[in-house]
Amino acid sequence: MTAYPGTGPVIHDPMTLPSDDNVNNYTFCVELKGSEWFLQKGKMIAYYGSMEFNGIGHGRLDRLVRTSFHSPLHATDWVVASGSGKMLLADRAFDVNSYDLEEGNLTIRSGNLLAFQPSLALKQSIVPGFLTLIGTGKFVAASNGPVVFMEPPIRVDPQALVGWADCPSPCHHYDHGYMTGLMGGLRALTGMGGASGEEHQFEFVGAGTVLLQSSETLMAEQATGLTPNEPGVPGGGGASGGQPSGSPRLPGQLGDLQRRFGL
Amino acid sequence: MWRFVNVRTSGSHCGIRPARTGAGGRTAFRGSTGSRARIPRRCDQGVFRVGIIPEDLSPAASDGYLHTVAMFRLQGSKVLAVDMTGDAVKAKNGSMVAYDGQMDFKKMSGGGEGIRGMVTRRLTGEQMTLMEVKGHGTCWFADRASEINLVTLQGDKLFVESSNLLATDSGLRTGTSFTGMRGASQGNGLFTTTIEGHGQAAIMSDGPAVVLRVSSQYPLTVDPGAYIAHQGNLRQSFQSGVTFRTFMGEGGGEAFQIRFEGDGLVYVQPSERNTIAGEV
Amino acid sequence: MPFREVNSKVIEATVAPGQRLFSQRGAMLAYKGEVSFTPNMQGGQGGVMSMIGRRAAGEAAPLMTVEGSGTVLFGHGGHHIEVINLTGDTLYVEADRLLAFDGTLEQGTMFMGSQGGVMGMVRGQVTGQGLFTTTLKGHGAVAVMAHGGIIEVPITPQRAVHVDPQAYVAHHGDVRNKLSTALGWRDMVGRGSGEAFQLELSGNGAVFVQASEEKL
Repeated sequence: MTAYPGTGPVIHDPMTLPSDDNVNNYTFCVELKGSEWFLQKGKMIAYYGSMEFNGIGHGRLDRLVRTSFHSPLHATDWVVASGSGKMLLADRAFDVNSYDLEEGNLTIRSGNLLAFQPSLALKQSIVPGFLTLIGTGKFVAASNGPVVFMEPPIRVDPQALVGWADCPSPCHHYDHGYMTGLMGGLRALTGMGGASGEEHQFEFVGAGTVLLQSSETLMAEQATGLTPNEPGVPGGGGASGGQPSGSPRLPGQLGDLQRRFGL
Repeated sequence: MWRFVNVRTSGSHCGIRPARTGAGGRTAFRGSTGSRARIPRRCDQGVFRVGIIPEDLSPAASDGYLHTVAMFRLQGSKVLAVDMTGDAVKAKNGSMVAYDGQMDFKKMSGGGEGIRGMVTRRLTGEQMTLMEVKGHGTCWFADRASEINLVTLQGDKLFVESSNLLATDSGLRTGTSFTGMRGASQGNGLFTTTIEGHGQAAIMSDGPAVVLRVSSQYPLTVDPGAYIAHQGNLRQSFQSGVTFRTFMGEGGGEAFQIRFEGDGLVYVQPSERNTIAGEV
Repeated sequence: MPFREVNSKVIEATVAPGQRLFSQRGAMLAYKGEVSFTPNMQGGQGGVMSMIGRRAAGEAAPLMTVEGSGTVLFGHGGHHIEVINLTGDTLYVEADRLLAFDGTLEQGTMFMGSQGGVMGMVRGQVTGQGLFTTTLKGHGAVAVMAHGGIIEVPITPQRAVHVDPQAYVAHHGDVRNKLSTALGWRDMVGRGSGEAFQLELSGNGAVFVQASEEKL
C-alpha cells in the first residue's frame, strides 16, 4: 500500500523498533516485558502493546517506589509504566541519550532526567536541583543539544552542566577580576551583559566525567522535593513548594516560573 | 568501588571524537564505544536525515511515474530545495527562504475550492494558507527550523495537521477533512489537511518524525501532541488514560491518547505540543 | 583555524598567549586551563563611537575578549553554529549572530541603508534587524549562529539570489544587496507573510540562509 522499500523514510513497527535504545537522536524506545520503568510525566509520545501508567502514589506500586525512589520527588511529576510492549519517549525535540550504569553513580540535573529502570536507586544529591542515580541499570536523559563529555580539571558554566559521574561534587569558582573594578561595578549596577556572565563557574577536579549540554539554555526545572531541615544539610529546611530552597538561584534560572512556562 | 561505565552514544553526541587522552590541560572528550550500525547517525553538519536519500526520490525510483513536476530534495534536514522547470508547487505561506532564477508567488486560499472551501476557511480561521510558487530555478523552503520529512504518495491519502504541511508538488490535491475531537484537544482547529494523488509532499515536525506502522496485529496509541500525520486506512479512537487522571490529578500528562487501528502509517514527532490537558 | 566543531551546536576554541578572540558574552560553556573573559565595552576595535552606533541601530551584541591559554567550549541557546573561514574577504553579518571570532579579524560596521537606498531603510524596519551590519575582514574564522541549519547559496553574476530578509544570516564577497517589494506579491501583505519583501543579492559571492524565518 504505502510502503516503498528503499525510497521512503524508515518505517518502524514493534518488530523493528529497537529495544531500550534510540530510534533517532531525539526519540528513545523502551521495551516493557512485564517490567517497569519510571518516567517523567508527559514524555511518552506513542506506544504499541498494552501498557498502564500509574502515579507514584499508587498503592500497588508502593513496594517498587520504596526500593527505587529514595528521593521525595514531586510525586505528580513521575509515573510508573508497566505492561508489555514498546513505547517511545521524547522531550520537546531535545537530544535524548541513554546511559548504562554498572555499579555506578551519576548525578544529573533533575530536569534532564526522563526515565530510569527501577533497578537504579534515585536519590537526591546534596547539590540542590540535582539527583543521583546509583546502582546498575539504564536511564534516559535529555539535553539541549548533544552531550559533550569532558574530564576534570574543568570549569563549567552552571547552566551548561548536565551532570557528572564519579568525580567529587563541584565547587564554585568566581572570577574576581571580572567582578571587581569599574567594569564589574558597572555590570553589577546595570545588569548589562545578560544573565549568564562568565564570572561564575562550577569547578571540577579529580577523576571522573563531566557531562555538558551544547547550550546554556536550561531544561525545565524539575522539583526534587524538600530536604530535611536539619543543621548541616545544604539546602535543607525549605519553606514551601518543591523548589530546592536555600540554594542561591543561579543567574538566568527562573526556577518555578521557568518550569511553569515549560521553558 | 563504583564505576560509571559505557555511556553510550546511541543518542545525540555523535559529533564527539573518540577519546584522546588529555595531557597537560588539553581537552579530552570521552565518546563512547558501543555505537550501533542500525542507528541513523548525524552527518558532519549536524544534519539528520529521516532515512531519505535524495537520489532515491529520482523519477526512476517511484514506479514509472513520470516526473515532469518539481523535484523535492532535502538540503540538510530543515531546508527543502525544489528545482522547478516551469511547474508549480504549493507551499506554506511565508516559508520561502531563498530562490534563484525566476519565480512567481501567488497567494492561494486554503481549504480547497468552492463553497466547502469557503466554509472551511471560516472554520479553520484560514490557518492553512498556502501560496503557489511557479517558475524556473531553485526555491528553498523552511519554517522555524522545523524538521522536514518527505512523503511520497502513490494514489493514497495523507492526513496531516494543517500547520505541519510545508509543500506539495503539482501532482497532489489538497483538501480538508473533519478531525473531530482530536483537533479540539490540540487547539489546532477541527480540520486536518488531506493530500491525495501521485507526488511528493513535505511535512514538518519538531524534531525528526518517527514513522510507525499500524496493522491489525499492532494497534498504536499516540499522544495527541506528538501526532503530526497519518496515511492509509486507519480508524482513530479516543482513549482517556483513566489511571493518569485518577492518580495524577489535574493537568495529567497523557490524559488523552489517540488509538489507531487498521492498516497504515502514523507520523509522530519527538515533541509534544501543548494539549488541552495543559502542561504536558 | 582556532575553531573545531565538536557537534553542530558546540565549537571548541584554543587560545594561546598573545592570541585573543572575541565571543558573545555568556556563550562560554566550559573551559580548561587559565582563560580570562573580559567584557568588551569598546565593542572590539571599532571604538566607543562604533559601539554607540551599534546600540542605536539595535545591534547591541555585548562581546567579551577571551585571552589566556587553554581550550574553551562555546555554544549559545542551542542554536546551530556554522564556522566560516575568511581568507582575506569581508563577511557581512548581523552582530547578534556572532558567537565567536578570531581577534585578528578587522571589525567594522556598515550602514546597510546606504546600499539599498530607501528600501534599505525599510529593510531595517521590516526585519527588525539593524540598519548597521557588522563587517569582519581578514584571515581567520568566524562562528555564526543560526536558528536551525544554514545553507550556503552561491551568488554568480548570471544568477542573482533572492532571500527572505528574516532568513538572511550573512553574506560575503563582492555582493550588492537591494530590498525589493516583489511585484505581484502584494496579495500576501497583511497576512504577516515574510515574502512581502525580499532581499536581492547580486554579484559574486555567497549568502548564508538559515532554516527559519525567525530572528535569533
